[in-house]
Amino acid sequence: MVTDEYAQYRGMTAPPQTAAMPLERDVIRRFVQAIMDDDPIYWSNEAASQSRFATITAPPLYPVHAFRRAPGTPDPLDSIIADPNADGTAGNDTIGFGLPPVVSPFKRLLNGGNEIEFFRSLHLGETAVVTARYADVSVKHGSSGALLLVVVESTFATEAGEMLLVNRQTLIWR
Amino acid sequence: MAPLYYEDIPLHQPLLRLTKGPMSTAHIMRWSAAMENWHRIHYDHHFATGHDKLPDVLVNGSWKQHVLVQLMKDALGRESWLWRIRFRYEKMDVAGDTVVAEATAIAKQEIDGLGFVTCRVVLRDQNNNVSTAGAAIGVIALRDGPKVPYPFVVKPDYAAMELPA
Repeated sequence: MVTDEYAQYRGMTAPPQTAAMPLERDVIRRFVQAIMDDDPIYWSNEAASQSRFATITAPPLYPVHAFRRAPGTPDPLDSIIADPNADGTAGNDTIGFGLPPVVSPFKRLLNGGNEIEFFRSLHLGETAVVTARYADVSVKHGSSGALLLVVVESTFATEAGEMLLVNRQTLIWR
Repeated sequence: MAPLYYEDIPLHQPLLRLTKGPMSTAHIMRWSAAMENWHRIHYDHHFATGHDKLPDVLVNGSWKQHVLVQLMKDALGRESWLWRIRFRYEKMDVAGDTVVAEATAIAKQEIDGLGFVTCRVVLRDQNNNVSTAGAAIGVIALRDGPKVPYPFVVKPDYAAMELPA
């Protein structure tokens, strides 16, 4: 009998997570400077009010990055003090958003790509909420050996429940 | 910025090229700091090359996806809406690389009074090597049609539209 050791993960859903802070103007400033998009709809009241959004918004994909460390929580950089070889990803849960890790013998992670559907941008003062689930977890056998494919579907909304976007990210473990 | 309409979008020729960089370690570090991603392969050269055996610190894939989103917004205009996008990473970019984004419309369809424009989207480096490739569907108003609704509402008439592989 062939067992499917990863079946337990399929459809598993994490509890909704709420961003630590509402969207602030200075966060947008820093963000759009980092992505090098100078569009004034992200910072000018005049441009934003004349746009379809009628208010300052973040770039459409911003909510994926809205879940930064909350005040008063452990410092992830402590891991580098404790272990000079630590890679700095401790405490970084910006893909699984609360899902338990898939336990497997595969060690090397590759990003297999994303499929994203957008409905609405996050507006100034709004707080993002994300709910993640394992849409698929399965082993494939290719020419280079076995791969573990993990598809995480993350649904982002406002606290009022208005849909922002759905991000399906494929992770490939070798 | 004059609005673009569905009728203005040509098929099978680049709609827009965006150039970012050359990406210095400072550009990469600025993104890591903005999103608070402390993975050392993005800012610690000694760790990236010594521990992870990479050629240099890496440009974040998470940054590159925003370039694709901006590309579609700027190619179809602010009054359009990027509805769907799919992309895969094919090559790493490292410090010193330039990222050139390009969108090309490959199909157009009028549905329910709105224009749906399917585009190939790609990121290349300064040597024309593709690092990221995919497809996207943007929704844009017809010249004599209604505005694209915001928030965008997916109706049964177009919910099943396929993104090309």
